[in-house]
Amino acid sequence: MESRQKTEELIYQSSLAMDAGNFTGFLALCDEKFHYAITTYSPEIRKEMVWLEHDRDGMKTLFANLPKHNSDHSPLSRHVTIYLVEEQEPGLTAKVTSALQVFRTTLDGGTTELFAVGKMIDVVQLSADGPKLLDRNIRLETRMLGFGSHIPF
Amino acid sequence: MARNSEEWKKTPDFPSTHYVDTSIYTDEGIFRDEQEKIFNKCWIIACHESEVPNAFDYRTFNHPGGAPLIVVRGEDMKVRSFYNICPHRGNTLLYEPVGNAKRITCIFHAWSFNAHGDCIDISREKAGYQDRFSCDKAGLREVKTDIGYGGFVWVNPDDECITLKEFVGDAMGLLDEHLSEPMEVFHYHKAIVDTNYKLWHDTNSEFYHDYMHYFNRITGMIQPGYFDRKYTGYPNGHASVGSMAIKYDAYEGSKKRGVGWPGLAPGGWVLIYMFPGMTYNLRTSVLRMDTAIPIGANKLLIEFRGLGLKSDTPEQRAERVRDHNQIWGPFGRNLHEDLLGVHGQGLAMRERTDSKWVIHGREENMTIHDEGGMRHFYAEWSRRMGRLANAPFDEKATVTV
Repeated sequence: MESRQKTEELIYQSSLAMDAGNFTGFLALCDEKFHYAITTYSPEIRKEMVWLEHDRDGMKTLFANLPKHNSDHSPLSRHVTIYLVEEQEPGLTAKVTSALQVFRTTLDGGTTELFAVGKMIDVVQLSADGPKLLDRNIRLETRMLGFGSHIPF
Repeated sequence: MARNSEEWKKTPDFPSTHYVDTSIYTDEGIFRDEQEKIFNKCWIIACHESEVPNAFDYRTFNHPGGAPLIVVRGEDMKVRSFYNICPHRGNTLLYEPVGNAKRITCIFHAWSFNAHGDCIDISREKAGYQDRFSCDKAGLREVKTDIGYGGFVWVNPDDECITLKEFVGDAMGLLDEHLSEPMEVFHYHKAIVDTNYKLWHDTNSEFYHDYMHYFNRITGMIQPGYFDRKYTGYPNGHASVGSMAIKYDAYEGSKKRGVGWPGLAPGGWVLIYMFPGMTYNLRTSVLRMDTAIPIGANKLLIEFRGLGLKSDTPEQRAERVRDHNQIWGPFGRNLHEDLLGVHGQGLAMRERTDSKWVIHGREENMTIHDEGGMRHFYAEWSRRMGRLANAPFDEKATVTV
């Protein structure tokens, strides 16, 4: 029970860190073997697609390079609802399935629009030191993302 | 020095070919004219042949001229295209973007058509029409279709159009040798941006905007050979840009490209701009194809495709996907910047913002920061539209390009 609560808090903390642009804080929640992907299915070409994929170092570099790029700076708000927490290897890893909605709020005027919906499928490493993110798959339903984003969900 | 209203609107001190009036990007009347005189007259890429591999496979396509289309492969393996409009009551025939249909049956009143566009069944035909009307008068509207230049399916609604080969001419010369192997689409997404389609094609057609792309500055602009790349213009408004060796490992977190592409030097990069809004972008291991599909004067849908080789091993394909995503995916480094750029142009140029001119005045012997690629495009645009891009409402102006 305590482990489930900590696992849920980890998921929510990871979203809060990303919302705040606290990328160092986000990475601190990730295991050294962390793997991140954004995936979706295209009914148009009838194929699975990977839109972004990095290991922990790759994510770190992506975040570090952000200031060098021209990006849209509208804040993103990740609304996460945890549906399932399933222990895969008892006491070692758990799979967490969450619904994900990402909202984007304009800097000028503060209009909020729904940016994307999907599922967030995480694998969490459980340990006495507390849970860590081992794998995150942002499984998008939304494929029309307008001018896109430099910042992962 | 900042300018007052009169100075702001004053004709730019350039030859008339070196600037355009921004109303060509915002005026709805001009856009309707473009649909008729450009999009419904030119060959446009609807999809790739790998999207309809089997008999009776179909793919829908919203043609920028206005008509919704079905691209379907017949039992004879020939690909044909038709309006996705039932000739009976005007309903959409196929609702899903892709599928397999031996019979195309309208859900409304069950009229059926085959993959040749023939009407093969009218429900209760005799009871309703007696001998006054029958299937032979109810075929679908066919649109000219051809496959070529990398296996793309091209369509043209103009029954009197020139052939695809005549339309393309020599424009594909730089890519021809690289498109001989069968390819397959592995990436597809659409983006809708509040901007004009020509601004997107302009962005693809000029490299001066590499200042916007950190990735391109580091891996390209500061590397040897960058300023040697040259634009070449071809008849019908097409253009190309020659290759250089991109130093991918100059960007932190990036690596030298390993997979490559048949016939292309390592790190090579060739672009072909097809009038009025398609770009072949072969960059080291991936062919990107964008198709600009204007929805209105200031609203654009772009289809993005990433292609690899059909013969790819899973490992090769995964590497192409990584190469593609780093720059061109919806979360890639360059695509977001390019789209932000044209989004910003759309914002600044929308009607009544008092934007007036866009300058295409750079001359650098047609090398990479020369704006000749855009000038070449607007010469063709003016010819087809019968309007000067710098004075689109001047009825006395004569198009002499």
